[in-house]
Amino acid sequence: MRKRTFSLLMAGVLGVSTLAGCGSVASTTTQSSDSTTAAKTTTEEKAAETTNAETSSEPVTISFYTTETGKDDMYQDLISDFESKNPGITVEYIAAGDDQLQQWMALYASNEGPTVALMDPINIWENQDRMRPLTGEAMLDNIEEASLSTMTFNGTVYAVPMSAAGIGLLYNKAVCDAAVGGDFDPSTIKTRSDLKDLFDKIEATGVAATCLTGVNWSLGAHYLCQTYGAAIGDTKARVDYVNSIIGGETKEIDSEVFNGFMDTFDMLAQYNYNKNDPLVGDVNLDAMALAEGKCGTWFMGDWAWTYMAELVGEGDEFGLMPVPHSDDAGDVTNQQLPTSYAKGYCIDASQNTEEQQLAGLKFIEYISSDSYSHEVQAKRLGQALPFKNCQATIDSPLGKSTASYISAGKTADFYGTPSLCPSDIWYECGAYMCEYLSGACDRTKLATQIDEYWSKQDKREY
Amino acid sequence: MRVKNKKVTSIKEFLLFGFPSFFIWFSVVIIPFVYGLFITFTDWNGLSQDINFIGIENYKNILTDSAFLGAFWKTVVYALFTVILSNLIGFILALVVTSGIKGQNLFRTGFFTPNIIGGIILGYIWNFIFSFGLTKLGEFTGISWMQTSWLTNPVRALMALIIVSAWQMSGYLMVIYIAGLTAVPADLMEAARVDGATVFQTVMQIKIPMIRGTTAICVFLAISRCFMSFDTNLSLTAGGPYKSTELIAYKIYQTAFTSMDFGVGQAQAIILFVIVSVISLLQVYFTRRGRVDA
Repeated sequence: MRKRTFSLLMAGVLGVSTLAGCGSVASTTTQSSDSTTAAKTTTEEKAAETTNAETSSEPVTISFYTTETGKDDMYQDLISDFESKNPGITVEYIAAGDDQLQQWMALYASNEGPTVALMDPINIWENQDRMRPLTGEAMLDNIEEASLSTMTFNGTVYAVPMSAAGIGLLYNKAVCDAAVGGDFDPSTIKTRSDLKDLFDKIEATGVAATCLTGVNWSLGAHYLCQTYGAAIGDTKARVDYVNSIIGGETKEIDSEVFNGFMDTFDMLAQYNYNKNDPLVGDVNLDAMALAEGKCGTWFMGDWAWTYMAELVGEGDEFGLMPVPHSDDAGDVTNQQLPTSYAKGYCIDASQNTEEQQLAGLKFIEYISSDSYSHEVQAKRLGQALPFKNCQATIDSPLGKSTASYISAGKTADFYGTPSLCPSDIWYECGAYMCEYLSGACDRTKLATQIDEYWSKQDKREY
Repeated sequence: MRVKNKKVTSIKEFLLFGFPSFFIWFSVVIIPFVYGLFITFTDWNGLSQDINFIGIENYKNILTDSAFLGAFWKTVVYALFTVILSNLIGFILALVVTSGIKGQNLFRTGFFTPNIIGGIILGYIWNFIFSFGLTKLGEFTGISWMQTSWLTNPVRALMALIIVSAWQMSGYLMVIYIAGLTAVPADLMEAARVDGATVFQTVMQIKIPMIRGTTAICVFLAISRCFMSFDTNLSLTAGGPYKSTELIAYKIYQTAFTSMDFGVGQAQAIILFVIVSVISLLQVYFTRRGRVDA
């Protein structure tokens, strides 16, 4: 009798809980199934309603999730300053760990989606149904127009870019000066042959000509993604090209641009400082090698100043130059520095109240327009800031180098459109690039593997 | 009346003692499991508000996905060597620290320590050893194969993963083997000694047969831990070089959180769940049989 009572009780609890569980799931599904349109309409309506709205005087707490690692003290400094200038708004700081997406997803799963998040454009694009459209906000007038294209989806702006990151070959000027026997001018490197000539001269001085960091993110997200860049054409041409690979009409191995960049890659591998163990991939050691003049150039980006700043001596000069992909001196893309607006500040509209979203807008406005914020960012990020009223000077010679390319109009948007390269290309295709660099596969196999990767992707938009 | 009172008491007892743990178990195990199962039939990316029901499509894709099948076979190879190595070392260590040598308690603690350090920290420590420690030693001694990192070669990286896992697990298994060995009746050992059995014969003819149940527990425990191995894989090799050491749990993580294919990742996790469940059931079966035989 007693056992039966227990059994019935257990069964009852089980049944009720299951139904409760299913109910929750079902309601989520129902909500979600027609949510794309609904969410979009709601957020657009909200945005329209509040374009000129005043923020509430009630105290409000917002959260800020950043995927820019190693800049915790910078953001905490900015938050303190923002809070002192905006009494009533408290910002909770959440820094990403090793895996930026996992923590972002976990925050949403626990209904604590961050009010403001600093994410890659592809992540914002993939989850735009959760984001607050920023089109029409006054603060966008202060953002460089060219930098907004990566944050604009179907004509709607969803984020404010953080900074401009130049990608290419970093050079140690003293090493290059010694190699060319005078003042090295990076603009003289117009073709692959010019670069080879420079490499030979550097090697003649007893220094390794270049360095490749054999890690998937550098080779996959940066080197390989150049092959879908400006050398293909404008944004439409780039998207069409990628879509033709996805559709199977084009093969990478037949692409002149792909082969051009891979010819240069082979040359970099041949002169690689890490040639004996190319996949050892330690960005700190490679930064040290360039800073100490053990190698003359290094394929990386201007963010590398974070690793180098503490290592360089007084008066040492460094700069950045594009990777030439052909032997055509008339090809302007050989001299354009790929510049990426790799991260943007977006606002969540799905799990934050209107008051929180407005406070989030104020926070982004502060980051993009406040002079103290500019100074702190210029100093700590060491990259060009795409804010029109920015007067701050960059300490980083690499950041300055990128800025000089921007002011000379010699840059090319790395992505063109936020959805061009999938969010896992660095991991999947980065592995193929590492395999190729190690010599474990030839170019035909590399191209086939990349084709296979693309064939599993949805067609891209522009 | 009395029966009714008994019923009320029983319900009260259940609510007081049984229900809290039942509720927690149901909340943190059953509901997430059912929800996870539901996700496997969708194309959810883990974040989007747009979820579409796609039936068993995810399962179909997994079974034809060469990357997932590759990760599965790598896990089988990894598990095979790790299980053999960790059990062998664990058993030998257990024999040594139960033989009455001086400071055996200190040795027990020392050998068990790697197990409590944690896979992430352990992975980073060994990463440094394989990438920089051994290479420096190679440069110093002039041994060419030691001059390059173990973690940049697919075969040696898998070997490194096996070595670290076996090193970590053997201390844990040693403790279980110690429990088994100390339970071997002393009179049996005494009789063997009187009959003139050597140490080797005592181990082979008495100790090993007598701890068959313990061995079954250790072997199956090691297998299931190998199949769920994630932290060391993440911090030691991160699936590299070029995804050659991507074990099944790591592959699931990558699918769900890097590729943002949450539905596919969850379906892969269900398949891992089935594999580990089968291993656990086999463990129960063999442990029972071992006990009866013993």
